[in-house]
Amino acid sequence: MAPTVKRDRGGKWSSDLVLNLYSNLLAELWEVVSALIGEAILALLFKLAIRKVEEKYPFLGSIDISEEGFSLDGVKEDCRTVAPLEIHRGFQGLINQLSQLFSALADGVINKELFPKVFSKVKEAERIISQK
Amino acid sequence: MKLIFKNLNVLRSTINAISTSMEVKEIVEAAGNNLPNLFDFSSFGVFWKEDLLLFLYQEESCPPDFTQEVVKNMINVFSILGEESIPGERITLQVEKRKLRPKQMMMDPKATLKSHLTLPLAAEGDILGCLSLNSDQPNAFDAQDLQFLSVIGYQMAAILKHFQRYSSIKDMATYDTLTGLYNRRFFEERLEVEAQKSFYSGIPISLVMVDIDFFKKVNDTFGHTDGDQVLSKISSLLKNSVRKKDTVARYGGEEFILILPGARLEESFVIAERIRRLVENTLFEVGKAHLNLTLSMGISNFPNHPVKSKEELIKMADQALYDAKRGGRNKVCIFAKKSSQWAVPT
Repeated sequence: MAPTVKRDRGGKWSSDLVLNLYSNLLAELWEVVSALIGEAILALLFKLAIRKVEEKYPFLGSIDISEEGFSLDGVKEDCRTVAPLEIHRGFQGLINQLSQLFSALADGVINKELFPKVFSKVKEAERIISQK
Repeated sequence: MKLIFKNLNVLRSTINAISTSMEVKEIVEAAGNNLPNLFDFSSFGVFWKEDLLLFLYQEESCPPDFTQEVVKNMINVFSILGEESIPGERITLQVEKRKLRPKQMMMDPKATLKSHLTLPLAAEGDILGCLSLNSDQPNAFDAQDLQFLSVIGYQMAAILKHFQRYSSIKDMATYDTLTGLYNRRFFEERLEVEAQKSFYSGIPISLVMVDIDFFKKVNDTFGHTDGDQVLSKISSLLKNSVRKKDTVARYGGEEFILILPGARLEESFVIAERIRRLVENTLFEVGKAHLNLTLSMGISNFPNHPVKSKEELIKMADQALYDAKRGGRNKVCIFAKKSSQWAVPT
């Protein structure tokens, strides 16, 4: 299923819409991967991935991660002045980092499970957001 | 369905075996003995960061190059996870080889690492190490294998965290945090054992009480931080000047005590005198200054001094130390009934 992103009235993607899109994608990723490796390890990997990308995309440092899951509330505050495409690039970078970590840990086992549910949607999001 | 029940049973017994293990090696063996019933693998590894130990439980026909690849891969994954590089040469490798495959399926001597599952051993947000399943076959593991391995990993991490806590509590109860020497509590326990052994068998035992002369002046002049550095330096001199079987402990403040099991009075005097000279000839760096320091020491010995308890032995060494101080310091005194005999440094 294609990501449910809608244009705002001006025909552009608002920051909130991009954040919602990635909030849903990350929630799916969390659900799939936590079933494979558990919440505690996944939370560690999320934190590690964020540390690697937050220098370039500081707003990602506001993602709140715990074993219970993640929250983007802090990011929403920080992203008021960030361009939607920049937000998209940041989250794309985060998902790439996670994917690299999953590969390092388990060859293709995790990414294989994620591909149909998450990665295909990231590619679709890239296509839609870049269209504007 | 039957297969899942069988696997869950194996998983349950693996977790039970891990939970009752008393040391890291036992954990690896407990897991290793059960894992062949869950996975097809060539090598199973556990890396424990605290002791830089890497245990491998692997098929007996594993070629050395394959083992090296597994080690390299585990260290690499751990370095990514822990964000710190671990020098391979500092790691102690322990390999346990077992027959995991029938003879006709022995590994090719040129086999290489084709697939692996490596997970961090994480507890309370700390990465304690990692565990890894490895195979010479491509795509050897699937999502269910990963789920099972993660359950085993969580249990292992919880037990390792428990070991870590236990070991730090044990350290606190045994060692003096400033000097790294044994603490007074441990000294009392050790002396009890050694003294009883000597009183029972007649084997000699000596006690040397040591005090740094005019140490208060060091603290008053340079401050406690520099004073602490002097204590640490003298502690390591003491530690390096005795035999392996001897015990060096911090008795309190700037006082130390040495238990010399099996040492006759003359031998203990030689050891004490050697230490006294060593300290006298050492230039201590305190802040930007260089200092000369000296030690006073008192010796008691069984059977030369007819004691019936460890307390008496301590009291006599303390009395001899007092005499060394009173006699002008920088001396080694042996307890004597009326006043301690003291040796003039030459």
